[in-house]
Amino acid sequence: MTTHMLKYLAKRLLLSIPTFIGVSIIIFMMVHLAPGGPVDVILGSQIATEEMVEQIRAEFNLDQPLYIQYIDWATSAIQGDLGESLTVTGGTQVSTLIMGRLPVTIELAIFSLLLAITIGIPAGIISAVYQDQIADHAMRITALTGISIPNFWLGIMLIVLFAVQLQQPWAAGGWVPLSDGIVDNLLHILFPIIALGTAISALIARMMRSEMLDTLNQDYIRTARAMGIGKWEIILKDAAKNAFIPVLTVIGFAIGGLMNGAVLTETVFSLPGIGTLLILAIDRRDYRVIQGIILFISFIFVFANIFVDVLYAYLDPRITSSRGDS
Amino acid sequence: MTQETETSDDQSTIDVNQRSQLQQFWKQYRKNKLSLAGGVLVVLLLITALFAPVIAPHSPYTQFDVPEDEQYHPLPPGSEITLTDRNGEVVKQSTAYFGTDNVGRDILSRALFGMRLTLMIGLSVIMFAMVIGAVAGGIAGYYYETWIDDSIMRFMDMLFPFPSLILAVALLGVVGIGETTYELAVVGEVVVPNVAKIVLVITIVYIPRFARVMRGAVLKEIEEDYVDAAKSIGASDSHILLRDISMNTIPPVIIQATLYIGTAVLISAGLSFLGLGIQPPEPSLGVMLAGARNYIHSGEWWFAAFPGLGIFLIILAFNLLGDGLRDALDPRYQGEQ
Repeated sequence: MTTHMLKYLAKRLLLSIPTFIGVSIIIFMMVHLAPGGPVDVILGSQIATEEMVEQIRAEFNLDQPLYIQYIDWATSAIQGDLGESLTVTGGTQVSTLIMGRLPVTIELAIFSLLLAITIGIPAGIISAVYQDQIADHAMRITALTGISIPNFWLGIMLIVLFAVQLQQPWAAGGWVPLSDGIVDNLLHILFPIIALGTAISALIARMMRSEMLDTLNQDYIRTARAMGIGKWEIILKDAAKNAFIPVLTVIGFAIGGLMNGAVLTETVFSLPGIGTLLILAIDRRDYRVIQGIILFISFIFVFANIFVDVLYAYLDPRITSSRGDS
Repeated sequence: MTQETETSDDQSTIDVNQRSQLQQFWKQYRKNKLSLAGGVLVVLLLITALFAPVIAPHSPYTQFDVPEDEQYHPLPPGSEITLTDRNGEVVKQSTAYFGTDNVGRDILSRALFGMRLTLMIGLSVIMFAMVIGAVAGGIAGYYYETWIDDSIMRFMDMLFPFPSLILAVALLGVVGIGETTYELAVVGEVVVPNVAKIVLVITIVYIPRFARVMRGAVLKEIEEDYVDAAKSIGASDSHILLRDISMNTIPPVIIQATLYIGTAVLISAGLSFLGLGIQPPEPSLGVMLAGARNYIHSGEWWFAAFPGLGIFLIILAFNLLGDGLRDALDPRYQGEQ
């Protein structure tokens, strides 16, 4: 990493501060804008007595001006204190709840992304090399189908086919911790990974194909071929490497898709991850857990995108001047 | 006087240009058979949605008789279904070609009405988001790097750091799920139906996306000579923005809109599947899938298969169409994607 790169990284991190202020204001205001206001939201469907309302107003500093409430909330959140859960599990720290569920979601997301890259990149390369031939047509139709299949439906149909028709118990969903055996753990998460990774691998394949076509038409590739260097050697060593860099941006977008998909996939396969925790919290109207998870997810999302951008700039130094200064 | 003739001259050249552009566009578009198929599928889906009440064999709410032991059981595709009234007399007899759900409602009828609702939500979301986003992005792009641009885009940026479904979930947390009655000082009671909330929430998700696309397209246009030319003959900003620039920026925005319909449909179906969108017993594809979840382990596949197929067909149709439109409009993408 050059100083130039470090400067770019610092700039991106600095620019993320206003983003986070904006994000946190939106998340903070969620509760205050909700119908009935914060007291109603906190009490949920309970029938409130005068005393309960007073107690909540005092406990949550609701008598303070809004900006003071926000500053209080934001300062604790920065320190990792997201408050205590209200109804999901009374009294547990929200951060503890999130951390407990995190390994499941991380395993699901990372393996899905790996699967998507492992399938998407070669598919894109083959499709570009055999442009307008049968392999290309097959890949393009498959990719379009993959993008259009709702991941939660794909998950359900995998369960129907494998768990019910073919009687494979591991296909039915549920979670086996890593400590109970790695094979069982991987078997149980296989279908969630396929359900979540399919659309992203299709996106990557399409992007890789179009970047490969661009690269293969460039002069230096033609020159190399004219010099008699083998076809696949050029494709894999030079063209694919250059084509992969722009594909990184798609992977940046894919992180958002992974998070959306994780909520749905975890629900289909009954995985105890962040997504199902969010749905549980909404169901029980535990607004602190909801706020905590959404804050956490947007935090990851922003940083993952910064990471991808910086990696992109590192691999393709031209970009810092055009992107970083805009 | 002179200025008037000049404008009308200008207009006629634009018309000729537009026509030939359109012809060229159609020529390109027609070449792509897949995309043509997408266009046909979109039209078929729209007709199905429009005439769902006529096409559907039954009401989406009618509960036919189902076998009952500890729990209700869905009937498989092709089953004979009967409707018995309280006196035990058979009122209606029919065949459920796609099977029934757990309370005996015809899956085909519910899926048809569900597609109607899903398409309605997807199309209204994209229409609202496109209009609002394009206006905001267009203004921002035209006043590039002024405070107007800055304040519009900074506001849009605030909505970007959330994954789309998560943002929709967060916003639903604000507006609440289900019908709400608001007491307003001037107009009195206003009832906001659940569907309106869902459309509103997903629209907010897409406004910044359209604003970015439109801003980018306008930035490309204002560098063109004709804008300078129009300015030099004294055309007003709004005239240039509305008449000249918008003409050329509409195609990329429409293409993006077609591609976004698929993702908007996915979000709305996902929300309903999670229990946060359309509420049962309304016939929505997402709600049907959510109901089917309890039955997949006992092998009643049709309950989940057909509603999901409906979502898939809608998304596939608009993706095919959008891809083809983009290829036809932007020759750089020719044969790519």
